[in-house]
Amino acid sequence: MEKVCVLGAGGTKYGKLEDSISDIAIQASAEAIESAGIQPKEINAGYISNVFGVADKQVHLGPVIMSNLGIPEKPSLTIESACGSGSVSFREAFANVAAGFYDAILVTGVEKITHTGTEWTTTYFSYCSDFFYEGQAGASFPGLFASMALAYLTEFKATEEDFAEVAVKNHDNGLLNPKAHLRKKITIEDVMKSPVVASPLKLYDCCPFSDGASSVVLCSEKFAKEHSKDYIHVIGSGRGGSPAALQGREHMTTIPSTKIAAEAAYKMAGITPKDIDFAEVHDCFTVAEIIDSEDLGFFEKGKGVQGVREGQTKRNGEIPLNPSGGLKSKGHPIGATGVGQVVEVFEQLTGKAGERTVKDARIGLTHNFGATGASCAVHIFQSV
Amino acid sequence: MSAKQEFVDNAKAGKVLAKKCTKCGELDLATIYFCKKCGNKGFENAVLEGKGTVVTYTIITVPPSGFAKYTPYAWVILNLDESDLKISGFMAGVKNTSELPIGTKAKITGFDDRGILIEKQ
Repeated sequence: MEKVCVLGAGGTKYGKLEDSISDIAIQASAEAIESAGIQPKEINAGYISNVFGVADKQVHLGPVIMSNLGIPEKPSLTIESACGSGSVSFREAFANVAAGFYDAILVTGVEKITHTGTEWTTTYFSYCSDFFYEGQAGASFPGLFASMALAYLTEFKATEEDFAEVAVKNHDNGLLNPKAHLRKKITIEDVMKSPVVASPLKLYDCCPFSDGASSVVLCSEKFAKEHSKDYIHVIGSGRGGSPAALQGREHMTTIPSTKIAAEAAYKMAGITPKDIDFAEVHDCFTVAEIIDSEDLGFFEKGKGVQGVREGQTKRNGEIPLNPSGGLKSKGHPIGATGVGQVVEVFEQLTGKAGERTVKDARIGLTHNFGATGASCAVHIFQSV
Repeated sequence: MSAKQEFVDNAKAGKVLAKKCTKCGELDLATIYFCKKCGNKGFENAVLEGKGTVVTYTIITVPPSGFAKYTPYAWVILNLDESDLKISGFMAGVKNTSELPIGTKAKITGFDDRGILIEKQ
C-alpha cells in the first residue's frame, strides 16, 4: 500500500453564501490546488461530495468543476452519504491513491441549501433518515438526536447544562476561525434560554444550516515530496455502518459505526485514543459530541460529560475537540463538512491555524458521520 | 403484495408484521431480506401486538413540511411487549415532557401520511 498524504487544502467561508453551488465548489478547489503548489493537470481525478445539488439546480457537479479548472478530460464522480459524504469521499480517494491507481486526487465537498429556508431544509435533511420509519413520521434531524439526548439524560448523570457547555466551548473556538459560520460568543444561559427545536434540544444545541465548500489534494508520498514541504501523512482510515433507523439499534446512547470505523483507523495507524492530540468530531448537536467522545475512546461510556465539565475538551485541554469550532460554530454544509475537517487538521499540523493552534499537536483525528451515524468514516493524520 | 404494504396493513390494524428466521429464530421487521444474525433467507411471518413501552422520544416544535398543522407532536420509539423489537412512529397531542415519562405504555393505532401512528394506552 502506498503512503498517502494531504498536500494542500482550501475552502470558502461557511454560512449563508450568495454564489452558486458550482461557483463555491470551484473556488474551494482552486484554493486547494494553489495551496498544494501544483498545476491542475497533475491531478488524476476529482472526487466530489454533495447531497442536495438538486436544490441549487446542479447535480453531476464533477465535470462542471473539472471543466472550470481547465481539466475537462479528467474523470470525476459524486459521492453522497448524507452528512458524512465528505469523509466517505475522502476515504474512497485515499483507497485509490493507497492502491496506486492514482497519484493525486482532488477531493471537494460542497453544499448550497440555506436558500430553501428552514422548513424545506429540515424536510430535505429528513430524507437522509430511514424515511419510512423516521422522516415520514415527522422525525426531523434535531428530533432524532433529541431522542438520543433524552436517552442519554435518562441513562447517565448528565444535564442539559452539560450539553450547553459543548456549544459554549465550540463557539469560543469558532470565534478564532475566520471561515466559521457563527462567530459569536455565547453563555450557558444563552443556550438554556434559546427556543426549543425538539425537546430536550434547543436552538443553540443545534448546528446551523450552512452553505460552503472545502477541498483538499490527496496524493502519494512520492508526489508530495516532489511538490511541497507542507504535507501531512494519512496514517489511519476506517469506515463503519449502523442500522439505518434508530429503532434497529440496541442502545440509543452509542453510535455503532463510530466504534467500528475508529477501531479500524486506530489499528491501521498502530495507535490508541491516548495518542491523539486533538480531534475534529461530528457535533451536529451538542449531545453528539459527547457521544462521539466516548465512542472514539477518549472517555468511558457516560463519562463524556465529565470531560466537558472539567474542560478536558477545550483547545488547551487534554483532548481538544473541534478546535475549528466544529459543526456547531464553524457550520455544517453537509457535503463539505467531512472535507472541511481535513482542512482543519492540515492547517493545524502545518502551522497554518493561527490563533486557534493546538499546542504541540502532531497527530489529529477526523470523525464524520451520515444521518444518525448510519455511515461513518474516521481518519488519522500525522505531521511529517 | 409487497412486504411493506403488508406491514402497513398490519399497522392499520394495530399490529406489527415481523419475520422470524426459520434457521435461528431471530426476529426482525417485515422489510428484512436476509437474517442479520445468521444470513439465512427463509422467514415465517410473525404478527405481533403493537403494544409496548416508550424507550425514548422527542417533542418536535420545528417540523418538516406537512407537519406544521400537528405541531407540537411527539416522535416516539417503542419497545414491543412480546419481543426485543423496537418500532418508532408519530404521536399526536403531546405538548409537554411531563405528559410522557419514559416507560409509558403505548400502542400502534394506525398508519397514514404521518407514518406509523402511536397513542398512549
